[in-house]
This record gives sequence, structure tokens and C-alpha cells, in this order.
Amino acid sequence: MRVVIGEDEVLLREGLSLVLVQGGFDVVATAGDAVGLLAATRDTDPDLVVTDIRMPPDHTDEGLRAALQIRAIMPQVAVVVLSQYLQRRYAIELLAGAPSRVGYLLKQRIADVPTFCADLHHVCAGGTVLDPEVISLMISRARNRRGGLDSLTARQREVLAAMAEGRSNASIARLLTITEKAVVQHISHIYAALGLHDTPDEHRRVHAVVRYLSE
Amino acid sequence: MARSLGVALVSLGIGFVLVAGAEVALLADQPAAPLWETALPPAAGLVHAGAGLLAWWRRPSNHLAVVLVGGAAVWLLTGLVSARPTSLAVVGLVMATVPLGVVVHLLLAFPSGRLRSRISRWTVLAGYAVCLLLQMPLYTLDPTGSPGGVLAVADRPDLAALALTVQKVVGMGVMALTTWILVGRMRAATGPRRRVLGMLYTYGVVVVLLTPLVSNLIQLAGTSAIIVSDIQIALLTVVPVAFVVATLRGGFARTGELAELSAWLGSGGTSLVSLTSALARALGDNTARLLYWMPDTEVHVAEDGSVVDLPHGGAGCGFAPVEFGDRHIGAIVYDESLVDDPAVVRQAARVIAIAVEQRRLEVELRAKQVQLRMSRVRILQAANQERQRIAQDLHDGLQADLVLLALEAQQLAAQPGTPGATAAAAVVLRGHIDQAAADLRNLVRSVMPAPLVERGLAEATEDLVDRIPVPTSLEFDVPERLPALVSNTAYFIVAEALGNAVKHAGASALTVRLARLGETLALEVSDNGVGGAQPNGGMGLRGLADRVDALGGRLSLESPTGQGTRVLVELPCGS
Repeated sequence: MRVVIGEDEVLLREGLSLVLVQGGFDVVATAGDAVGLLAATRDTDPDLVVTDIRMPPDHTDEGLRAALQIRAIMPQVAVVVLSQYLQRRYAIELLAGAPSRVGYLLKQRIADVPTFCADLHHVCAGGTVLDPEVISLMISRARNRRGGLDSLTARQREVLAAMAEGRSNASIARLLTITEKAVVQHISHIYAALGLHDTPDEHRRVHAVVRYLSE
Repeated sequence: MARSLGVALVSLGIGFVLVAGAEVALLADQPAAPLWETALPPAAGLVHAGAGLLAWWRRPSNHLAVVLVGGAAVWLLTGLVSARPTSLAVVGLVMATVPLGVVVHLLLAFPSGRLRSRISRWTVLAGYAVCLLLQMPLYTLDPTGSPGGVLAVADRPDLAALALTVQKVVGMGVMALTTWILVGRMRAATGPRRRVLGMLYTYGVVVVLLTPLVSNLIQLAGTSAIIVSDIQIALLTVVPVAFVVATLRGGFARTGELAELSAWLGSGGTSLVSLTSALARALGDNTARLLYWMPDTEVHVAEDGSVVDLPHGGAGCGFAPVEFGDRHIGAIVYDESLVDDPAVVRQAARVIAIAVEQRRLEVELRAKQVQLRMSRVRILQAANQERQRIAQDLHDGLQADLVLLALEAQQLAAQPGTPGATAAAAVVLRGHIDQAAADLRNLVRSVMPAPLVERGLAEATEDLVDRIPVPTSLEFDVPERLPALVSNTAYFIVAEALGNAVKHAGASALTVRLARLGETLALEVSDNGVGGAQPNGGMGLRGLADRVDALGGRLSLESPTGQGTRVLVELPCGS
């Protein structure tokens, strides 16, 4: 897996490089700002871009904008955005369009090297990774809002919320003390209600969760 | 005060009309002469009264009006000479020439109504003596001088004729003295005032001289005595009108009086220019000027800033110092011929002193307020920049360090040579570091949240609302990006108000509204909680109110018990 890193803090950039190399990735380029990141990504056509959000020169959201741009013009490149602070809006912006090959994680997650590397591989394989913190933020907000997903029953919404937390069917069954078969039935009802057909199950699952969280 | 004066003057006027009417009715009772002739003196009295009351109304502090009203009374008495009852006719006879004395009095008292020099007082006294005392021989020594000779004590027409000559000579003397005084005053006067004085004085002197002479002149031409007296009365009746016209045109507008001046000063909103014109109005002197003492350069300056020397006296100009406490703060320069009483000017100076000092303090205070407001904004700006710097430093420094520390702990745990217990401890350590990083994230968020730095108020408010554990609706209608200080202040108000609602209000629904209305950012945070919040209850809201105040905005709190709480804020966001 060929990776380009965008991070302005030198020590963090090197630490991240080290983690990725240890995790079996091939770091083909690193950049200290958004312009450099875009250029390096265009030049090297990597499998994965891992980038910080706040970068020079303005120290605002240039890393995120670069990530969105890469997702728009090079959809084959997986993108994982790292940040010291997570926001629902950034997650929605990253998930917009096709919610796959994308990840949004707290920087602190780097330290849990095995999980972090597994997440990156998952994203490269076409998956979606959202930090548990941003998930819980989105879930609590979705719970606070009335309306939306109105056609779903209370039980179906519970199942959907559990899906959004990244639980497997078995885990949801245990959580709600229902059979796994019942969970599968609920999930197929959710897919039908949200109009998700004819796509691989994992994608439908992500779509449903994203629909739920963006509501 | 002006109203009660008006009522008094109208009452006095009605009194005069009634008395004059009664007198005309009385005179109409006897057929000696046509009514229009006997009614002439009361008519002259009414003209005097009208002129006097008008002058009194227009210039309450001017004593000329008193002289005119006195003249009116004299005329009414004079008219009684034609009355049939002898007792009344005698009164008229005694008063017959007093109107001439009144004219002399008016001439010398003009324009202030007061006789300020000793010579003018003696001259007026002499004038009245000629009219009253030197008239006496004419009816006491000549039985034909009074109806049926009731006042005659001796039958000596020769002595009476002599007395008449004496009266004329002394009267001439009084008039010569009067003319001399008036010429002196005219010399002292300047410009248009001299012209007014000249016309008036000439007319007055000529009337006084002509009235006694006219009888001789016209009798020579064979005109009847009645016509002669009509001409005399007509000449004399024009006098008060001339005086009043001169008084009102000679620089005396409607007098404000000092009470009115102080009322006007109390009404506020006065500028320095209008302070001078109000003073001029109150004193009845259009040339009156307010000078300000400049303690630094030790000169008086006028409103336009030009340096003005105080008059030394003798030029008809006087001045009164304006003092506040024991400090000299200015002076009023006035025309002595127009302002009757220096005491009035000194009083005006006292009245206006407070206003002058107040004005000076206001200007000073305003300047300080502007400075204070600017310094408060600078302090806010500095605090804001400091927050941003601290947040950025933590982001680049400590937050990054904690990632690396956790990474090192993880590397240690994963290293093949690490003993099992150490590896386990390293994993626990990593967990602690992660927890420290989470605490630090919350700290940074409370100092200066990332969305506010990275995107702006809209995203920051949205993120804030996302993290509120109570259903919260957000309406955001602010098209352009706001100045950093305004958006940061607005953000922290919303944060504090939402925090309070969640912690204290027990609300089940919150609403946040932000809208730009022209040059104002309007902000509202409301809840459906228990209400009863106090503006000074939490330091948080108090501190925010101070910040809003420093930016020139307004913060209000509505929190009736049991009916929810509403925080309303308006922040100017023009610059």
C-alpha cells in the first residue's frame, strides 16, 4: 500500500511515518502543507492519503479541503483525515457522495498502532472508518432530533443506532436481547425503508448508517 | 413663571381698560366738550398702559415698563380735569403737566428703566417738581385757575403769571440738562444703537420743549385752546409707542429671564454656541458674549477660539466673571447701556457657571469614555488573541506531544524484548495518556474551539449545539464572516447560555437564533425551563455582559419564574 502523509508537525510526521512503515505501508511522500499534499498525491497516485486538518499557511481547515478535493478528483485514492478535534460537519462532508474509502479519526488513535493500521487497511479495502467519538456525537444528535427516518419503528431505530456504533449483528442481538435472526430482519426492513437495494451488504450497512447520522 | 407673569399683566391691562372706560363714562355725563375730546387723555393713558404692558411682557426685568405704566396712571388722572364733580376735576388740574415729567423720566431711564447716575435722578426729580410744585401757583394764586376757584388761596394773577414764567425757565433748565445728559449717552453709544437713541432722544426733547410752546405758537395763529390741547396730547401719546418700539428694536428680544435661562440649561442638549445665544437672550443684550478662561495660556477666548481681552470700563462695556467654586472659568462681556443691572449679569454668570463647567466636564468625560471604550476593546482583543495563541500552542505542542508519548508507550509495549509486566504497564500508561489528551481537548475547546478557528461562527455554533444533551434547534442567518472579536464573543455567549440552560434550567428544548440585522448581530438563546435566572447570578453571564458592553452592545435576560429563560444580545458588527 502506497501512502502519502500530510502533517505539518515534523515529529508527528515522522512518528506517523514510522507507524505506517511498521504496519506494512509504503510511505511514498510526505508534505507539510495542503498545497504540497495535493501535489504529492497527484505525482505519486498513492493508494492512501493520511492527512491532518489544520495546516499552514492559515492553520484552519486546509487539510480537510485538500482531502475533499482528492476524494473528488481521485476517487480511487482512499483518504483518512486525522484531527485533534472531531466535528459532525467534517464527517458529513467527508462521507458525502460515496461513503467509502474514507476515514475520520482523532490523531490520538495513531498510538493504538494495531487498531490504527487495521482501520487504514479497512479504508483502503473500500471501507469507512469513523472515530467512535464522532459516531457518538452524531448518534446523540440524531437522538435529540425529532422527525427524520420517520418510517422506522422505535426498535428499528435502535438497531440502526447500534449499527452506527459499528456493532456486528451478533453484538446488536446481545445489546437488545433479541435473536440475531430478528436483527437481520430489522436490518432488511431498514434497508427497504431507506431505499437501499442491490448493493453489497457492507455498503448498504454504511449507507444506512450515514443516512441516519446525517439526518 | 412666564405664565403667571402673563396672567398678572393681562389682569393689569383689563384693570386699566375698566378704569379708563369708567372715566370716559363719567366724562360723557357732562356736555362741556365733545366726548372724543374729553376721552383723549384716558385714550393716551391706555396707549401708555398698552405699551408699558407689552414692554413688561417682552422684557420683564426692564423697569422702563414700570415708568410707562406709571405714566398711564398719570394720564388717567389728568383726564379727570374735564369731570363735572369738582373734587375729581381738581385732581386732573393738579396732574395736568405731569405727563411732561413722565417723558423726561422715560428719556433718562431709557433703555434699562433705571436712573443710574445721580445727575439723572436729580434731573427727573426736578422735572416732576416743575410739573407738580411750580404748577401750584397757577391755581392757588389765580381763582380762574381752578373750577370755581376752589384751590385759590389768594387772588394774585400777577404773581401767578410770574410763577408761570419761573416754571417755564426752570423747565427749560431741566430740559437743557436732560439734553446734555442724552447727548453724552449718544456719544458713548455705537453703530445702529446710536441711530435709534438719536431719533428717540430728539423726538422726546422736541416733544417736551414743544408741548408748552405749542400753546403760544398756535394760539398766535388763532386756533382754539381745545385744538391746542388735542395736539399736545397727540404729541405726548406717541412718546410711549416710540419708546417701546425703540426698546424692542434696540437689541431687546423677548427676555428669557434668568429662571428661563436656568430652565433651558437644565433641559440639556445644549451646545456652546447656543449657550451664548441663550445668555444674550436672557440678558436682552445681543452683543453679550461668553468667554472661556484658558488656564494654560491664561487668556479668555471666545467660542471661535479667538483671544478676547476683557473691557477696561468707560467704553460702555462691562463684564462679569464666571466662577465655579473658587476657580475662574470665564467671563460674560455685555453692553452696559442695555443691561440695566450688573447684579443680573453676575447672577447670570452664576447660573451659567454650572453649565460652562458641566459642558467642559462633559467634553472631558466623553473623551475619557471613548478612550475607556477603546481600551476595553483592546483588552478584549488582546485576550482573544491570547486565547487563540494558547489554543494554537497547545495544538502544536502539548497535543502533539501526547500523541507521540502514547505512541512511545505503545512501541514499548509492542517491543519484542519488553517483559510482559512492563508491556502491560505501558499499555495502561498509553490509556492514561489518551485520557490526558481527551482532557486537554476539552480544555482547548473551552479556550478557543477548533471550529471557530478553522471555519467560523456558524460551524462553531453548530458544533456547540451538536454536543448539547438536550434537543436544540439552531437558526443561523449571518451571511458574511464577522470580525473575529464579534464572532468569538457571540460564540462564548451562546456557549455560556446553553451551559446554564442545561445545568440550571431543567429545560427539555432549547433554541439558538443568530441573525445579522444591518450592522447588528442579534443573538437569542431561549429555553423552556424553570426560569428565575438572575442577571448577576453566575459570574459567567456577568462577565459576558461586560464583554458585550465593551463592544457597545446590549445583553438582556428575561427569566420569569416557571416560564423559561431568554438571553438576548445585540452586538454591533460594523467594524
